Amino acid sequence: MTGLSFDNHQRNQHLQSQHNVSFKTTSTGTTIVGIKFDNGVVIAADTRSTQGPIVADKNCEKLHRMAPKIWCAGAGTAADTEAVTQLIGSKLELQQLYTKREPRVVSSLQMLKQHLFKHQGHLGAYLIVAGVDPTGAHLFSVQAHGSTDVGYYQSLGSGSLAAMAVLESEYKMNMTKDEAIKLASDAIEAGIWNDLGSGSNVDVCVMEIGKDAQLLRNYRTPNVREVKEKSYKFARGTTGILRTEVIAEYEIDTSV
Amino acid sequence: MMTGQHGSQPIQHQFNPYSDNGGTLLGIAGEDFAILASDTRQSVDYSINTRLSHKIKAISPSLTAEFKAQNPKMIGTKNSILFGTNGFSADGDALTRQFEENWKWYVHDQNKSAMSMQSAARNVQHLLYGKRFFPYYVHTIICGLDEEGKGCLYSFDPVGSYEREQCRVGGAGASLIMPFLDNQVNFKNQYIPGTNSTERRKVDYLSLDECLKLVKDAFTSVTERHITVGDGLEIFIIDKNGVRCEYHDLKKD
Amino acid sequence: MFLTRSEYDRGVSTFSPEGRLFQVEYSSEAIKLGSTAIGIATSHGIVLGVEKRITSTLLVSDSIEKIMEIDSHIGCAMSGLTADARSMVEHARVSAVSHNLYFDEPMAIESLTQSVCDLALRFGEGASGEEERLMSRPFGVALLIGGFDKLKGYQLYHAEPSGTFYQYKAKAIGSGSEGAQSELQNVYKNDLTLEQAEMIVLKILKQVMEEKLDSTNAQLCTITKETGYKVLSEEETKEIVDIIYEEEAAEKQRQEEEEDDDEDEDEDEDVDMN
Repeated sequence: MTGLSFDNHQRNQHLQSQHNVSFKTTSTGTTIVGIKFDNGVVIAADTRSTQGPIVADKNCEKLHRMAPKIWCAGAGTAADTEAVTQLIGSKLELQQLYTKREPRVVSSLQMLKQHLFKHQGHLGAYLIVAGVDPTGAHLFSVQAHGSTDVGYYQSLGSGSLAAMAVLESEYKMNMTKDEAIKLASDAIEAGIWNDLGSGSNVDVCVMEIGKDAQLLRNYRTPNVREVKEKSYKFARGTTGILRTEVIAEYEIDTSV
Repeated sequence: MMTGQHGSQPIQHQFNPYSDNGGTLLGIAGEDFAILASDTRQSVDYSINTRLSHKIKAISPSLTAEFKAQNPKMIGTKNSILFGTNGFSADGDALTRQFEENWKWYVHDQNKSAMSMQSAARNVQHLLYGKRFFPYYVHTIICGLDEEGKGCLYSFDPVGSYEREQCRVGGAGASLIMPFLDNQVNFKNQYIPGTNSTERRKVDYLSLDECLKLVKDAFTSVTERHITVGDGLEIFIIDKNGVRCEYHDLKKD
Repeated sequence: MFLTRSEYDRGVSTFSPEGRLFQVEYSSEAIKLGSTAIGIATSHGIVLGVEKRITSTLLVSDSIEKIMEIDSHIGCAMSGLTADARSMVEHARVSAVSHNLYFDEPMAIESLTQSVCDLALRFGEGASGEEERLMSRPFGVALLIGGFDKLKGYQLYHAEPSGTFYQYKAKAIGSGSEGAQSELQNVYKNDLTLEQAEMIVLKILKQVMEEKLDSTNAQLCTITKETGYKVLSEEETKEIVDIIYEEEAAEKQRQEEEEDDDEDEDEDEDVDMN
């Protein structure tokens, strides 16, 4: 079976019309950015994942590897960003084997937008695609419906406005790698503080021409939890043992 | 097409008079004190309106110069009522002001220095029920000392149903903190070791110090897992000496 | 005297050049025509007593209602145009019940009295003719309002048609009020028991009434913290009345004996009021 299955679509629609049920997806209400610098490109993301107003994961990874030197920052529906990234990532790898050439960022962008367009926005993936290939360093963004943008700096996700505010005021052409990393991190932090959908730590990935891509996981950790006032260890027996049953351990014979 | 999508159904746009400003409100009544605490973040959708909003007001008889000299840190007398609202903050502010006005008229008309908690609770019920069909979108908790000097807490639903309780959480973090308080304040699901879940752990009043620890841990924890809770923590404490207020920072992400 | 007044006693909101409101003063005169009502506040409770003028042997005395319950902890006695008191008592009852509804506590006696006086003062409303008039004239009745509250304990108030009120330890109103008030002043002590107060009220009523006191032409009520507002039944009243007459008879006999002993002694002072 390949592709998406719509087997349950009719059932789900019936369920939603008859009963008040809804299917909540884990959203990366997110801040992601990408910045080009003199010799490469850097992308960064926060690490909060949410389900409605609840924080589902305090330290998730939103930076996905599609090829060794092509990375993607994802916002939107977590499952979609992950699936679409992996799918295109595997296609890139196959293409690389066929062509014996390093994958290009434009290829991955074309594949992503065609895939997303095909699904008419139902795949909630909003991505910043960046990488280095034989043609140089590249930075793009893709929307769920398949439209793409090119630019020296990009931001996406619920914290994109906060991040863009920083980028618009601080960005300059031909920054050094360290300057770009700092600006990207600062932009993400703006999202972490000012956007409720973003939070926790900053992840960074640097792709420099002629060098291996470098993932700086938890590059900044400005939200370490303080120690609690009190220990909540219960005295043994606070929950009583009502029944004891000993189950014997069996060796499973797998021989035929 | 999914329901609600373009093309399948017409979409009617309507003015929505309410918004959810997030945050959490927590009260605990002790033996001879009561505390009411809330975070200081006020938000709408994914945006923060302010990191220092005040959801609790101490409604107190005016402080004499003598009282101020003796208790420089006190912001109210022991007759005060700690009035806290959570939900739609505009409604919360309106309700607080209305109650304050009622409180002042009551004091004048009845020749009293303050209102009892019991009377205050009944009055709040009528303020809320008076808007039964256009409710104040708030969870209200009031704290104080009762006529015997015991810690006292009343909590209200948006249309005025109320009850005196030992502890209560309202607002965004209610479903996260309330079970914690049930367990730690009323010792729910705790049994005496060695009795094999046959004898419940006896409930007893917690000390002020212990309560403050629970409140701080509850708020730092809910800040971790709820996006509308954070920035700061304001704790109001009322006892026989009067009302005082503590502030602690919470995480700002 | 009346000639000069006539210029300024038409409107209820017109001051005379001397600064008097004649209609209000006249309303006080109406009370002086009314039957006597007495109230005593003790540290054990409130006693209110009224005389009932049985103008005909065919009149059913139970139908004369001059003592009324306002709330379970507040009662009142009246003198003057009792019909006017109906609307005052109704207002008072609404106030007391509303207060209890909104504040989950019994209404304080002073607040209740203030609320009644607020109503009494509204005789002037609309007198200028711009809005609809609420009342045509001031009330022609005075109330003795007594009760218990947590704030100030037992209290007795006298509410006048003018809208002013005063607190009293003991107060008499109505036609016999002058004599009754001076007698109250003589006998009042701070440590009176409720029973003593009941006795005093009936004794004074007996002195100031034109008819002979019995259990049907006088009525008493008590208000205590424990039992609240209670009207004494005819039997209960009769018990006290009987004691009064017995004491009187015994006293008379004692005097006669004394007179027999030394006839040169002058007559005993027999207090006769009115």
